[in-house]
Order: sequence, then structure tokens, then C-alpha cells
Amino acid sequence: MEIKKLINSDDILIFDGGMGTRLQALGMAAGESPERLNLTDPELIERVHTEYIAAGARVITTNTFGANRHKLSRIQSTPDVIISAAVNIAKTAAEKSRADVFVALDIGPIGQLLEPAGTLSFEEAYDIFAEQVKAGEKAGADLIIAETFSDLYEMKALLLAVKENSSLPVICSMSYEESGRTFEGCPPEAQILLCEGLGADALGVNCSLGPNELMPVIEKLCALSHLPVIVQPNAGLPDPLTGKYNVSAADFAAAMIKAAELGAGIMGGCCGTTPEYIEELVKVISGKKRTPREIAPLSAVCSGTNVCIVDRPRIVGERINPTGKKLLKQALKDGDTGYILNQAVEQMSAGADILDVNVGLPDIDEKAVMVRTIKALQGICPLPLQIDSPDPSVLEAALRAYNGKPIVNSVNGEEKSLSAVLPLVKKYGAAVIGLTLDENGIPKTAAERVDIARRIVDRALSLGIPREDIYIDCLTLTASAEQAAAGETLNALNTVKKELGVRTVLGVSNISFGLPKRELVNHIFLALALENGLDLAIINPNSELMSGTVRAFKLLKNIDKNCTEYIEAYSEDAAEKPAEKQVVSVEYAISKGLADTASELTERLITDTEPMEIINEKLIPALDKVGADFERGKIFLPQLILSASAASACFDVIKRELSKSGGGISKGKIVLATVKGDIHDIGKNIVKVLLENYGYTVIDLGRDVDYEAVVDAAIKHDVKLVGLSALMTTTLKSMEETIKLLRAKKPDCKIVVGGAVLTEDYAMKIGADFYSKDAKQTVDVANMVFSEAEN
Amino acid sequence: MTITEIDKAEAYRYMGGRGEPDGEVYRKLCECEKMLLPALTPRYRYEVFDISVTDDGVMLSGGVLLKGKDIISHLDGCERAVVMCVTAGQKADTLIRTLEISDMAAAAMTDCLASAAAEQICEKAEREIFSVVKTKYRTTRFSPGYGDLPLAVQPQLLKLCDAERKIGLHVTDTLLLTPRKSVTAIIGISDKVKSGAADVVSCDNCAARENCMIRKNGGCCGNKKADKQ
Repeated sequence: MEIKKLINSDDILIFDGGMGTRLQALGMAAGESPERLNLTDPELIERVHTEYIAAGARVITTNTFGANRHKLSRIQSTPDVIISAAVNIAKTAAEKSRADVFVALDIGPIGQLLEPAGTLSFEEAYDIFAEQVKAGEKAGADLIIAETFSDLYEMKALLLAVKENSSLPVICSMSYEESGRTFEGCPPEAQILLCEGLGADALGVNCSLGPNELMPVIEKLCALSHLPVIVQPNAGLPDPLTGKYNVSAADFAAAMIKAAELGAGIMGGCCGTTPEYIEELVKVISGKKRTPREIAPLSAVCSGTNVCIVDRPRIVGERINPTGKKLLKQALKDGDTGYILNQAVEQMSAGADILDVNVGLPDIDEKAVMVRTIKALQGICPLPLQIDSPDPSVLEAALRAYNGKPIVNSVNGEEKSLSAVLPLVKKYGAAVIGLTLDENGIPKTAAERVDIARRIVDRALSLGIPREDIYIDCLTLTASAEQAAAGETLNALNTVKKELGVRTVLGVSNISFGLPKRELVNHIFLALALENGLDLAIINPNSELMSGTVRAFKLLKNIDKNCTEYIEAYSEDAAEKPAEKQVVSVEYAISKGLADTASELTERLITDTEPMEIINEKLIPALDKVGADFERGKIFLPQLILSASAASACFDVIKRELSKSGGGISKGKIVLATVKGDIHDIGKNIVKVLLENYGYTVIDLGRDVDYEAVVDAAIKHDVKLVGLSALMTTTLKSMEETIKLLRAKKPDCKIVVGGAVLTEDYAMKIGADFYSKDAKQTVDVANMVFSEAEN
Repeated sequence: MTITEIDKAEAYRYMGGRGEPDGEVYRKLCECEKMLLPALTPRYRYEVFDISVTDDGVMLSGGVLLKGKDIISHLDGCERAVVMCVTAGQKADTLIRTLEISDMAAAAMTDCLASAAAEQICEKAEREIFSVVKTKYRTTRFSPGYGDLPLAVQPQLLKLCDAERKIGLHVTDTLLLTPRKSVTAIIGISDKVKSGAADVVSCDNCAARENCMIRKNGGCCGNKKADKQ
């Protein structure tokens, strides 16, 4: 029988038990690499396989958990060598047994955290896995099992690598803590959404805990996943002193019956389990059929850690879209990711459930900027994203880089769009927004728009995109231009929801274009749309009236049970009566680090004072005084940082004002970066805040920055000063290399360096122009460099 | 294990403050603590090894050599050593990254609070470990990067404790621990009453000596935080 059929059959499929712990029990030396044993002691590995086959395993797992190029470099070997040896050993054991046994290529996590938590890029992770997958298929493995994963992003890299480099079935198993999430914070729902979307053949859970502790996760997987569920727990928990696991073979088997009753269809063991456990398992399971499961359709999207179930109206934040936004346009042109991230954080705290991301501008490399933005966003914002671009190649790049299940915005009824976008949606397992327009534009009547919607839905269904992943946008027209159109949109929305059984989405702000008091019109239209069945409201969540309308609607419709969400959103307003504020000066507020007060006072000042006057007469003197106090040891770094942040709040007010008049305040551009291999950037960011306070434009390249990226930015922006930071002794080498490259390619620019383990001597030795012991000194360096340049 | 309160005075010292935090700094530290506490997921693992002194350092029975003179003197008189790996978890890192976008001062404070929390997790872990591992005498913690014990041993220490798989603790090619607020350490233990000295790391053999904020401000951390930021 084919392995694919076995995975999906009515019978419970039995895998083997633990390999690593079994090898230890059989005398593998501490510190030995299990993978090396495939070469040095194949008989031992074969013996373990043979034991498990004798115990009743139908699938045996190769001894290749750590056989990736990154881990194997420690034993001077390669995936090709180890994997072909390991698969051959397993196949020999299977053939000798003369039982109908299949060989699963085992793939474990790479052993490094992916960006942004670590330094391994998604693309490199993909390459590493692809190498293993190809080697496994070439050696003759029957299927692939990825196990013990805890990062959903890494799981995605693996799944893509399998799908694009082999035709083998793949099982995706993750490890959960008792909290019901993985180490990286991934919940089972996200595992399901991602793995189903990307075409896994089965999914489940292994390692970390015993079967009883894992039961809540198993229950969730069985209740929500359409795929067969695999369960391979540990033999309980190990005793810290003896290393012995605390669940016996009989108890293990008894617990696994519970998992079978919940609907698990594939079973085996992980750490601490032995052939005895598998034998017991086979005894209690044999003859049992899989418990049938009924899975209700679920409309949901997710990030690596957060799931948004669209079972009620949800807010999609629309602010990351340059249309009509001067500051965002500028930020995109300058490569200022910080500004975009700030927009994300703001919308998140205002109550957005999903964020739309559109970075389209005529003169930028949209694909590169989109990928960079998505990666940066998922480092700081747990909300699922909606990828917004008319360009299929941008969509595809974004779909690859995204961690989780996103929404694609959008496809429309035009044949060109349908045939370009929907296959991407299918391949990457995304949800999709369908716009009810086609080559003839937006139809006038509701009926015609419903027709287009039907065309889109039928096409999506035919490609295997499930109905629950389709969101139809019936399109908002401008009421001042076509007053009757508002009613048509609402009618179409209502019909689409009822007759096509899909979800709906609408960007509402367009309704009031050209009218005074736009918010008034917008929020009423939003309420009407919600009443007609709107699921995703694309709005500005920072507008109290708009997000409040969604909250109030959920309250009145008895969706927000006990008004919990509503009260949570607004109770602080009621509870927190602002204390009478002392009348203080901006200078005082800055010196005490009172950001809110400082920003309010600046708001007031700016009504009757010139922006530059505020900067030169108030902010800079206040900062100078704080800086002097810091140098004299009267205040310390914490107070300095607070004051700098308070001053930043003032500058934000002023910048907003200046952008209205089109003016700027930059004294010059400085590139800042934490060097390659280093991920500590608090220090660099404090420097950034302070430099900005003094009027410099900082091009912040972030952390773990390639040498070339620093040089490219320095050349592109033609900067006079580059600041490099490194925190660890091990990354000082990167600093030196970056300096060398800068000297070669941009010799006219000065370099200032800093970081915890750096000394003045060392800084000079590696060729820097300046060493800076703290943020304040970096400002002094900048002042010097830029004033010299002026003279 | 749960941490219910973070030593704010310690965090203040990590930031380079002197004396006790007060005013806006204290208020903000409390605010950051409130955000950080639910983001902490403390986890630890340890293993006990027999040790033997070699020409180059101390050999663990797990087959790992701890190189250098300083580890020899630190473990002087001990027959065994505990290798422990501790992490405050991934969520704290994410929180700090997010704060870096919206509020740099809060990010810097939370970063130092998380370092203080990692220290507290170490203390708690030690208490738990030594309620199980019975010994008459034990040294203080000694970590890679202290004295002449190279950071290069990090991957091996993690492997000895299966830390990647068991507590989600990793190390980059540049030898940084990830999640960032993590510690690996070696503690010597002995059933004899110990005669050797050197159970406290002085500033003289600390890797952070040159730029240590605490030292600059006239203090000494004991052996607490040479690998913290």
C-alpha cells in the first residue's frame, strides 16, 4: 500500500519511538553526535530500527534529526553523506524485516533562531532544508517528517522546501509547552492554518511532555484540523538526576487510547520511549479504527503567534498605505522602516485586529521594500497582515516572506487578475480579497457586482481555495459623486454574504470623499455595512469614532458577551481622572523626562512660536543642560534617556507642523547600524534618539547588518558619518570588516564606533575615526564632524 | 517557576544609575515591570558532571573541556560541577523590540529589567537545583566570557543540557545566546569542606571590566552579570 493512503486510512498508523534516548541507553557516549553514528556504527542504528519494526512500527524514522548543514559542520560532514547513509540503514532494516515498513526522513529544527529573534534568515533556512529534502528523496525515503519544531516561520521554510523540491508526503509536528504554546509562542491553531494552507499531509505534536500533559493540544488539533493528526509524546518527564522518564509503557499506551478517542490517527513516541512502549501501544490500538471527526469551516488568518478568527466583525488597520500620506511616502523613499513600524504599533494599540500593508510608490523597488517591511513588522507586531499590492510578483515575494497565513489584497474579476493572483493564493495557503470589478470597471448595480463576486468565488473554489478563505469587497463609491451608489454597495454586500456564503470586506473611508465632516459620514456608513453583514472593516483604527463604531456594534449585537471588550477598551478613560497638572516649562518637562507634558507644552507653544525658535531657544538648551549634568555625574543614563525621549516627543510635534509647510530641520544624515552577527541594539537606538534630538537625520539600518548594506547606505545617502555598534567580543570582527569595506568604497566618510566591550584603543586599532563611550559623546562627535564639514 | 517582582534597584544599576531610582525613573520602571512580568517565561535545565583538571583547563565527564586558568581556580577543590542553562524566554525579547519602536526609554528600562529578571531566575533555579543535588559546598556561578573561559564553549554547554530542545535556548554563529536574556553557568560542588579560594569573580578577571557601568560607578556585582547588557 502507498504511504499516502496509510496516512489517510481509517486505521491508526504506528510510527516508532525515540531514537536519541534509545541510542544513549544502548551506550552512545555523552557528547557524541547521533548523526555521526550513521557512518561509524551503522549496526547500532539498524538494531534500533529492527527493534521498533519488531515492536510493530509501520513507519520508522531515520537517524537524521540534526542532519542539517549547520549542525553537521561541527562533525565535518554534510547532509548528503549522512542522510544517504541513514536512509540506507533504515531501508536495509525494513527490507530485512520483510514487513511492509516505510522509511520517514526525519528533519529537526536547524538549531538557530530565525530572524528577528536570531540571525538566521528565512531564505537561508529554506536552503538548508531544501538540501536535506533533496538528499532524502534521492536516497529513497518514502516520506518526510519534520518534528520538534517550535517556530512557525521555520516550519514554513521547511514546508516550502519540501513542496518545491520533492514529491514526498510531509508530516509537520511541533512541540508544545504546558501553556499550550511552543517556545516561540505559536498556538496549535496557527500550526493548523499554516500547515493546511501550504499543503502538509498530516500535522501534530511530539516531544516536550508526556501524553497526558499534551492532551489539551491534541484535543485542539483534532477538533480543528482537516488533516490526519500525529501524536508522538515523550515517556513523561525525565527525572533531573537520573534522566529516567516517569511514565511506564503501559501508562503511555493507556493515555494514547485517549488521544485516539479524540481523533488522532498516527501515533508513535519521542524521547524516553522504547520498543516496549511501541509494543504496548500496538497492543491497545490494534484493530481500532480512527475516531471520525467533523471539522467545521473556519475563517481565520494568523501571524507566527496570533490567530484572528473572523467569526465577528474585525478591524483591518489601513494606515500603512502611502496614498495621500506625505510622511509615509517620505519614510518609504528614505527606507525609514521605523516610521512604518510606529504606524503598526499605534494601530495595534488602537484596537486593530489585522494590518493592511501597502508600500506601492512609483519610484521605489516595491518588491524589496515590501519584503523588508513585512519582515520588520513581524519582528515587532503580532497582528496578522493583509498584503496589499496590484503586482503579482510583489504579492508572491511577500507571501513567501510572511510568517503565518495572510490575506491577499486583492484579486478582481478580470481574467488577467484571476489567473495571476489566485494560483499564488492557493500555493501559499493565504486568504484572499475579491474586488467586484472587472475589465469594464465597477458595475453600477448590486446584481452585477454579485455576478462578478460569483465568478471570483467559483474560480477560487475550482483551484481548491476554500470558501471560508474568500472575502468579497463590494466596493465603496464616493457618495458626493454618486449618491445612489451607497445603497447599491450595501445591497451587494448583503446578497454576497447570504447567497455566496463567503466573508465580506470593505474599505469605507472613500464614501465621504469631498464632503465636510467626513468621519460623521464614514462611521454611519460603517454601521450600515456592519448591519448588512460586513466582516472585515478596513478603517483607520486610530479614529475613535470608527473603531468605536465596531465595538459598539458588537456590544449591541450581543457578540461582545458581557460587554467585556467594550468595557476593557474604555474603562481606563472613566477610571483615570487626570491629576491637575502643574504648569511647567518645556525645559523643565525635558529635564524631568516627562514626555506627555513636554509634548503638550510644545503643542501649545507652536501655535504662536516659530518651530525653529522652539528648537533653538528651548529644546537644544534643555538637552545641553541634561547632557552637561550627565557628564558631571549629576544624573545618570536612565535620566538622560528619559529626557531624550521627552525631547523626541517635542520634536515629533514640531516635525508634524513643519511637514505641513513642507520645511525640514535636518542638520545632516548619519547612518547607524549594529554590525553583522550582533542582535543587541538598545545602545545604538539610544544614540539614534539623541542624534535626532540634535537635528540629525538618522538612517537606521537596524541590527545584524551586512557589511555591504552599511556601505551601500553610506554611498546612497552620501553621508559624512557612519556609526557602528557591537556589543560582544565575538562581533568586533564584523565591525572591523565593515570599517575596512567602508574605507575602500567610501573613503571620505568618518566612522564612529561604540559598544559595551569596545575600548578607545581597540576602536583605533580597527581603524575607526572616533570612539564614543556613550550616546552623549556620539552627539559631540557628530557636531564636530558636521561643523568641520561646513567650514 | 514564576517571577512576581523584579529587582528595580538592580535594573537601575544596570542602566548606569547610582543610588536608588526615584521620581519619573522609578514610576517608569514600575510601568515597564508591569509589562515585562507577563512576558517572562522562565525555564532552566542542568546536568551534573564529574570533573578532572587537565593542562588546559577542566574536563567535564560529558566530554567537554572548559578551557583556561580561571575555571581551574574557580573549581579548585571540587569533584563535580553543575552546568546550568537559564532563559527568560522569547517574549521578553519581542516586548523590548516592540518598545524600541514606540518608546525608547521604556525599551532601555525593560531591557535592564529583563537582565535583572534573568539574574533572579538564575538565583531561583539554583535554589531549586540544590534542593535536589545534595552537596556540602558549592561555588558561585561562572559563565563563559568570565576571565579566560572562552565564549566558544557555549554551543557545547547548551548541548550538554539539551537546552535547544528542552528550553528553547539557542546560540548564534557569533556565540550570542538567543533568546537574549539567557545565562549559561558552571557551579563547582564538593562533598568535602572546600579549602580553595576564588569563589567570587572579581572585576580583575571579568570580560566586561573596561566598560562595566557598575564598576564605573564604584560598585561590584559579585559575579553576577558579565554577560548581561
